[in-house]
Amino acid sequence: MHLFFWREAWRSFRAHRGLALTTAFSLAAALTLCGIFLLICWNAGQALAWIGDRREMIVYLSDDAGEAQVKSLQAKIAELYGSSTFVSRAQAWEEFSAQVGDPEILKAVGTNPLPASLRVRLRPALQNFTAMEECARQLEQFPEVEGVRFGGEWVRRLDALYQDARRAAIAVGVIVALAIVFVLHNTLRLAVLARRTQVETMTKLGASDHFIAMPFVIEALLETLAASLLALLLLFGLQQALAQRMDGVGFLPPVWTLSFVGSALALTWAASSLALTRILRTVGA
Amino acid sequence: MIQFEHVSKRYGERLALDDVSWRMNEGEAVCVLGHSAAGKTTLLRLITHETQPTSGTIAIGTFRGGRLSRAHRALLRRTMGVIYEDFRLLSDRSVFENVALAVRIGGCFSESDVIPRSLRALEEVGLHGKQAALPGELSYGERQRCAIARAIVNRPAVILADEPTGALEPKSAADVLALLQRIHREGAAVLLGTTRPEVADAFGGRRLILEEGRLREASPAHSFMPPATAPAPEGA
Repeated sequence: MHLFFWREAWRSFRAHRGLALTTAFSLAAALTLCGIFLLICWNAGQALAWIGDRREMIVYLSDDAGEAQVKSLQAKIAELYGSSTFVSRAQAWEEFSAQVGDPEILKAVGTNPLPASLRVRLRPALQNFTAMEECARQLEQFPEVEGVRFGGEWVRRLDALYQDARRAAIAVGVIVALAIVFVLHNTLRLAVLARRTQVETMTKLGASDHFIAMPFVIEALLETLAASLLALLLLFGLQQALAQRMDGVGFLPPVWTLSFVGSALALTWAASSLALTRILRTVGA
Repeated sequence: MIQFEHVSKRYGERLALDDVSWRMNEGEAVCVLGHSAAGKTTLLRLITHETQPTSGTIAIGTFRGGRLSRAHRALLRRTMGVIYEDFRLLSDRSVFENVALAVRIGGCFSESDVIPRSLRALEEVGLHGKQAALPGELSYGERQRCAIARAIVNRPAVILADEPTGALEPKSAADVLALLQRIHREGAAVLLGTTRPEVADAFGGRRLILEEGRLREASPAHSFMPPATAPAPEGA
């Protein structure tokens, strides 16, 4: 029976090649648009993750804090917030010296004014502005801690940028989903009307809506599959062109690629099933 | 098996069926005779639930009264075989595929049964050698025989034939009637609608006459089957 439905879908595809190709190209255009935003999101996400990796919190220690107290503080930080690295006053001075470079300026500073500190790499769940602000507030309560710095404004902007990118991707996804539903509904209506005699005869013979609709659904799925593969091909070409001009522009990973095709197919299945239920009510009495 | 109780059907101002009550039993042969627009096709369309009565109740087997859901309507239609005057064959499919489609729609048989059943039905109507032909390559008589093969392939309990000889010349018409009589003898109830008294005479069975949407019984409820003779062509 399944083979029969596939044969029927193929028969319909051959009989209405023009319509099928128009549908596939329309869907490919919509999916390419969606894919471009996915590509932007993926690369933006990668860039933000890379920047996010460098998010750290610097906990300045008071001069009174002994080695045991620092170790105890590190254990608490490891338990509550993430990993930490101890930077002694001497190390901090060395780093500062390396950054400044000019020995005359360093001589002018005189004795080392820099405090010892802990560089804290927060857990991924805590790498956002609200959580980091709360962590800083809590860490400042420890007696060994003199102050905490984490570049709050910078983190806040980074988070806002990431949220905006996500919202844009969702909005584009919804628009493309609506476009797919619109294209499929109209194409299926045309396909059913083009085969009105067949649909009416099958209805009179007692065919269920499922039986009549299945070849149309399969045809729509094949068109979407072709369209999504074409869209991926175009996206790959775009990514290759961009990669020659900009460093670090990557293509969608396999999971995203499969999700892209899978989502398009799932949407097509749902949209075409719903559309056909409506269309068959008007055609097959 | 089929029962109409005070059924009326109105299309706008026109009353197509007026308070029609009748009953058809299992295995019976009934011929509905009436002039054009007397209400024969409406009666058959009511049986297949292609249209709904304006008033009254229709019972077909276990399907009783009211508007059926699309799924139940499809199920009802699968329990009967319908033969149309214009054949309603799919022109882009071979004779075999037209018949096989009905088997698949019926859903009663496995995929491996589709081919033997379809071929057997085509053999029964004498179209075994033309299974690969497209409907357009057949004569009208052959097309109607193909439509009959499609109607009987699932062995339905009732066959509805709406003017099955209307488009046929006398010899083909006689062949088709003989085929319908044979199907009836093998146990199926056959309801035939025609405008031509000679077709009704050749077909036999219980005769109902429809005039201006009103039904009257012309012969007592019994089923007899005289041998089919070629009815005279229309207008002869």
